[in-house]
Amino acid sequence: MRFFSFHLMPYPALPPDYDGPAWVTCPNSLFDPEVGHAIYNRYLDELVAAERLGFDGVCVNEHHQNAYGLMPSPNLMAAILARQTERVRIAVVGNALPLYDPPTRVAEEFAMIDCISGGRLIAGMVVGGGPEYYSFSINPTQARERFQEAHDLIKRAWTEPGPFEFIGKHYKLRYVNPWPRPLQKPHPEIWIPGIGSLETLEFVARNRYAYMGIPYFHISVFERMFDMMRQACEKEGYQADPLQLGWLVPIFVADTDAEARRLYEEHFWYFVRRLLPGINISPPGYTSLRSVENILKGAPSFALNLQSWDQVVEGTYAVVGSPETVCEVLSEKLARLGAGNLLGLFQLGTLPAEATSQSLEAFATEVMPKLRAQFPHAQAAPGAVA
Amino acid sequence: MRRELLDCEVGRIELRRGGSGPPLVYLHSASGEGEGLEFLDLLSDRAEVLAPMFPGFGSSEGIEAIDDIEDAAFHLLDLWDRLGLSAPAVVGLSLGGWMAAELATRWPERVGKLVLVNPAGLYIPGAEVKEIFGRPLDELAADLFADQAHPVAQLMRQMASATQPGTEVPFELVKPVLAALSATAKLAWDPYLHDPKLHRRLGRVRSDTLVVHGERDGLIPRAHAEAYAAAIPRARLVDVPGAAHLVPLEKPRELAELVAAHLAG
Repeated sequence: MRFFSFHLMPYPALPPDYDGPAWVTCPNSLFDPEVGHAIYNRYLDELVAAERLGFDGVCVNEHHQNAYGLMPSPNLMAAILARQTERVRIAVVGNALPLYDPPTRVAEEFAMIDCISGGRLIAGMVVGGGPEYYSFSINPTQARERFQEAHDLIKRAWTEPGPFEFIGKHYKLRYVNPWPRPLQKPHPEIWIPGIGSLETLEFVARNRYAYMGIPYFHISVFERMFDMMRQACEKEGYQADPLQLGWLVPIFVADTDAEARRLYEEHFWYFVRRLLPGINISPPGYTSLRSVENILKGAPSFALNLQSWDQVVEGTYAVVGSPETVCEVLSEKLARLGAGNLLGLFQLGTLPAEATSQSLEAFATEVMPKLRAQFPHAQAAPGAVA
Repeated sequence: MRRELLDCEVGRIELRRGGSGPPLVYLHSASGEGEGLEFLDLLSDRAEVLAPMFPGFGSSEGIEAIDDIEDAAFHLLDLWDRLGLSAPAVVGLSLGGWMAAELATRWPERVGKLVLVNPAGLYIPGAEVKEIFGRPLDELAADLFADQAHPVAQLMRQMASATQPGTEVPFELVKPVLAALSATAKLAWDPYLHDPKLHRRLGRVRSDTLVVHGERDGLIPRAHAEAYAAAIPRARLVDVPGAAHLVPLEKPRELAELVAAHLAG
């Protein structure tokens, strides 16, 4: 099992009288740069602390024009982390490839981070969430095509000696020759997040990448997705390695179950009711029709629809409790899911610094060692997971 | 109107055909209207009406071969050739009007009399077209219809409430709507609902053109219809009171009469 500390870097200060979506059209006059200065630095501290606490890695991600996550450029964050840590893997989960024109920019920036960090980058690549296609006015009907072509170009840029010409449908480059090249051979480990699109699962299985389950669904949705991923690998002629699966889940640890809920619950609801609205816009053509049906099956269980704490617990939308409870729940779920990567989301919504730090410490000292003992693993070779 | 299937360059196209007389092609909007459309029945009294479904709509194939509005224009030209059409009359609504204009600027000799109803396709600063993508269907219905009691407006509201959590929407019902939106997005996402080069080319249109504006259109400001009428050499503008964006659905008789008069005149 590999343990990652994942940060979303949310904006915790939306005014109480604002009840619109947090994405795309949420007026940016609501962003207070003074708050920004404080929280960016606090959130980075929380990620850096993961190394001292014994995590295997840290994660940042990419979202634009929203209050849910303030990292339109995750590579900037990864670069900071590359200098402020020495051991942990740094996972960018991931660059939204269609938003980078040309995609060789991803190859370049990832190579920089990999060189600076001494070969610790995990290169996540995403199609980009629905809202990003509104934010950048990029055609969602071309999302998958662009992602595929950009991915192919980036891999070639990393593994084929340059300069070479690349003439695709969307990207036409006469000279592909990125300096620097990544340290890891053949290239950094690649992670692909997904919410159940069949094309993504097949793509991950075919390329032997790792699939990260995007959170905020009932645990049964993850169980189904991961089973499908294992099937997809079998179809490709091999058995999926647990390290090819990652479960991202909000976690909060306190002395007792009651104390944990008391400290955490209101911040969880800020996340659900103030930051999630607007995330699930699915622009036309973004998902193929054959995948829509699959994704729609999970839609009713989307976290936006949560009404009660009982539902949160029943569906394992968050793992909240004493160290014993958290250990028990994670142990059971990780075994069922067969995932080899646990991506813990420790800061969530308005959860303040002190509560976040205490939870991280408690998890690291009282939960993680027990889970490590239960789920030993072989270190993944860089570049390929299986 | 009889339903037919025709093999075209991009794939198999579904179309409706009815009536007799000089040929008239109807190009539908992003709503994909055509089946059971009273407006087409009225037109077929005086013309042979051909109403093709654009790729991605109905059971028409070939949307994979279409990336942008120029591809759409070339598809229509191919369709014209396969239907044996020389210079038919063309009536286009909204998206269909935009396509008709793209065809008429490139091949003016292939379009006879032209009727553009609330045509899309232009960008006019200060007269922005409202968003059609990502909006709840009930909100969209309010912009598209003057009379909210119209059956299609009611259906859109039903579908909007059907996507609330807890309700089961049969996927078969959702599929055609998604396909139509996706096909529209291919043409109309970026840049939004317009072709930056179209305006300067409208002077090439040789057809006698009637531009029809639904007086209560909440989607496309009147400035767009005015711009079309001003830029096309032999064009005039007329308003239909009591109609919003989807004029053929709301005022089929009035529109059919306007079209008939235009074809005869």
